[in-house]
Amino acid sequence: MHSLYAFLTGSMVWVSVLLFLGGSVYSLVSRAVMARKMDKMVYSYFSLHYALRSIFHWVIPYAARNWRLHPLFTFVTFTFHICLIWTPLVLFAHVGLFYEAWGFSWWFIPDLAGDVCAGLVLACCLFFLGRRLFLRDVRYLSTASDYVMLALVAAPYLTGMWAHRQWPGHETALLLHVFSGELLLALIPFTKLGHMLFFLFTRGYIGSEFGAVRHARDW
Amino acid sequence: MRGQTFLMRLLAGAALTALIFSASAWSQEDVENVRDSVFTETMRPAAVFPHDAHNAKAGIGDCAVCHHVVENGRPVEGETSEDRECSECHHGGKGWPMDVVRAYHQRCRGCHVERKAGPVTCAGCHPRR
Repeated sequence: MHSLYAFLTGSMVWVSVLLFLGGSVYSLVSRAVMARKMDKMVYSYFSLHYALRSIFHWVIPYAARNWRLHPLFTFVTFTFHICLIWTPLVLFAHVGLFYEAWGFSWWFIPDLAGDVCAGLVLACCLFFLGRRLFLRDVRYLSTASDYVMLALVAAPYLTGMWAHRQWPGHETALLLHVFSGELLLALIPFTKLGHMLFFLFTRGYIGSEFGAVRHARDW
Repeated sequence: MRGQTFLMRLLAGAALTALIFSASAWSQEDVENVRDSVFTETMRPAAVFPHDAHNAKAGIGDCAVCHHVVENGRPVEGETSEDRECSECHHGGKGWPMDVVRAYHQRCRGCHVERKAGPVTCAGCHPRR
């Protein structure tokens, strides 16, 4: 227990952060090199103005037509992403750990709000699971890895709530919480979670092509 | 007159009882939780810490292990600080209790990890009642 705790909160933190940062740089650079070799048009047509215009419309709920066509899905996906990213950053327990390690801290939310946000992430995961299972076209496109990714994303939030609410087995849940969080961070550059890094470029390129070439909107 | 004497005796008895109880309430045998006056609004239940039982089990005889005195970044040999609150030095400013929280966490958890004994998780020290 003590050795595992020390390992997970010590060396493993650095391993996961380095995998995330190193993997992100590697993935972005290797894709940039691949695009230069295989599709030079990406560079010729890329326009910062049209890229930002497109990204701007797609990161605002209901600002893109496709968001308005699927109002429930839009609501769920924005709730999911906002809670997913912000909850771990503004949770008192996490901010406190940062302060203990680095001597700086920032604003945090009440614990109850943290529980609600983690609960929302889990509810959204269930929604996404249901979507994959019951919507025919989505099920057709789903592979085993999609289900595994969904479980991996849910894991730190479920175990985090478990440890915080002190449900039976919470000591093990805390270790699983730390491990699943580190695993998730390390996997970002190497899996579909990479859209966190790549969406700026994929959306940016689509925006560039639509804006500069077709003179049309892509939102 | 007789009634007055009885009242005086009763008051004196009550005062004595209060004195005994208040004295024992502040003695170290009764310390069951970590406390500090800066913890006005707590985020977690107070950390469970039966002072004497803990130190007997952990074999800590030197008070300065926790109640240390530090000057110019160095521990002062032979001096202890049981008469002071931790937050007097570990204060952070503006009543911000994070410094004293950090001091406790590093002291308690650090020792537990090092000795591979005692709780290390959040709930281990801050159980919900």
